Amino acid sequence: MAAMVNAWRWWWGILLAFFLVGLSRLFLPLPFIIEVLIFSIYTMGCSFLLGRVGFISFGQPAYLAAGAYGTAFYLFYFGSNPYVGILIGILSGLAVSGIVGPLFVRLRSDYFALVNLALAVIIYYLMQKVLAGITKGDNGLWFLTNIASTPVLDLGKPDHFFIFSILVALAIWAFYKYLDDSVFGACCLATKINEDKLKFLGYSNYGVRLLAFVIANTTTALAGAMYAVYLGFVSPEITSPARAADPVVVTILGGTGTLFGPLVGAIAYTGMKDVISKLIGNWELFIGFLLVFIMLAGEKGIWGTLQPWLERLFSRKKASPAAGEGAGARQ
Amino acid sequence: MSAQLLTSGVIFGLSIGSIFFLMAIGLSLCFGLMRIISLDQLLYYSVGAYLTYSLTLVTGNVWLGVLGGVVVAGIVSFAVERLIFRRIYERELTFSMITSFGVLIGGIGVIKFFWGVVPRPVPVPLMAQIDIIGTEVPVYRLIVVAIAFLVYAGIWLFLNRTITGKAIRAGIENVEHVEGLGINVSRLFTITFIIAGALSGLAGGLHAPLIMVDPSMGLEVLAFVFMVVIIGGLGSIKGTLISAFIVGQVVSLGSLIYAPLAQMAPFAIMLLILLVKPTGLYGSPLLKR
Repeated sequence: MAAMVNAWRWWWGILLAFFLVGLSRLFLPLPFIIEVLIFSIYTMGCSFLLGRVGFISFGQPAYLAAGAYGTAFYLFYFGSNPYVGILIGILSGLAVSGIVGPLFVRLRSDYFALVNLALAVIIYYLMQKVLAGITKGDNGLWFLTNIASTPVLDLGKPDHFFIFSILVALAIWAFYKYLDDSVFGACCLATKINEDKLKFLGYSNYGVRLLAFVIANTTTALAGAMYAVYLGFVSPEITSPARAADPVVVTILGGTGTLFGPLVGAIAYTGMKDVISKLIGNWELFIGFLLVFIMLAGEKGIWGTLQPWLERLFSRKKASPAAGEGAGARQ
Repeated sequence: MSAQLLTSGVIFGLSIGSIFFLMAIGLSLCFGLMRIISLDQLLYYSVGAYLTYSLTLVTGNVWLGVLGGVVVAGIVSFAVERLIFRRIYERELTFSMITSFGVLIGGIGVIKFFWGVVPRPVPVPLMAQIDIIGTEVPVYRLIVVAIAFLVYAGIWLFLNRTITGKAIRAGIENVEHVEGLGINVSRLFTITFIIAGALSGLAGGLHAPLIMVDPSMGLEVLAFVFMVVIIGGLGSIKGTLISAFIVGQVVSLGSLIYAPLAQMAPFAIMLLILLVKPTGLYGSPLLKR
């Protein structure tokens, strides 16, 4: 019984959050919610790297593209099962981050940021020009008609894809909450805050960082694979350097390193994008100055500001401090 | 490969390396003294190029346009430093990177607002060709290389022969000590930032006749400038000069052998160098302040 109560306490924040997202289906258009869900998974990896491990990554589009192109190649040239496609996308993300990871995580954080952004640009060129024979260059790969219908959850149908992405997001969130609670999560924070002390405790900074890097970027690749299946086409635009800041913006907008920051940030960002691109055509102008404004205003983000307030509200209502702790993100 | 092709390839590499050098020096100086990564240097590059385009259209003289580009890039960088960077010097390094990326993206939006998205051509100021070992080489490219070396000499003289320059070099070693000597560090920061911005503007102005001027031109050279800075080592001017010419030659000669190599080869070289020396060729092992 006590175990069940504990499990409930652990789960209820995540379940409530995604229940609310599911509920929003009633009054929000479907493409918007799916976009938010995929975007929040995309941002999760970046948020973990920035908030937990202290790596700022402007190179996330590189891993997004790895996942998207892995899926796209499979669905365009070889098979038709979207689940296998997504799996291959994840594996190719794993492969790319496994190859560059050992090189990158040795670097100081400033070099890491520069090298990562350079990687994104290189992958952009690779997909747009060098491999144009396979990737069809700027035209992109179109494979929507290749996707076969599958039993139980048919990913070709938006309604089913919506349920699928909610389930995936739920799993990702549970996974990251588990990571935060685990020894590994504590090691990640330690390597961000004081790497010497972590070394004293007998952990390898390099190992912790490498594992975190691979986990985060594989998550990003998963988001890329989901984009590929959902849109049914992939073009080099997905790794365009002009969009390299998107995940970082959303991370900071939501609240860096918090559990629900990426979700809240993705909702706010996608919402603003929809509203503002209708008002003014100049999207960069807005996103650039928004970024500068958030940074100057104190970088706590939406969830970072809301969370203490919510916790106070909950603990007053239920008069139990334990419930407040469960209200969502840690830190 | 014929000797003619090789000669023109080397000259092309030297000129493109000079442009990279002029831009990377700003990033490098800002990192060395202020411990910020100033991605907005790429914005001043675009500003320099656009001003060159507009002034050339009005006055008919490209050199006047380049001069105007340098001045306006300097003014814009001064404004950005006062309004934004002033508040973030004390923060972490990543903080400056995110903020300056915001400035860069926002600035590209402003450029699109004023000049539109259509790429603009800028005429080459000197059509003359000169004969080097039997190869016709455009004089303009040689002038670009000469200007880069002049700037290097100028920066060297400034850093080694003037009080302000010496203070900047001392500040790169230890900013607190410089402050303790009664030197106005915040003014020093502003001067360095304006120099960096003006040099980026110069790079844009000089590059404009060689390419088309379009709003995202800063993002196109971004990867190369990064590679130059990383290979040379953040904060080292000599390293920046050497790595700029390495990258320039690799881009130019690589594209002669196999076109896609121009983009991929510098990246491979960067990874190799980082494997051997994670701080770049001349990078200091300095940690964050």
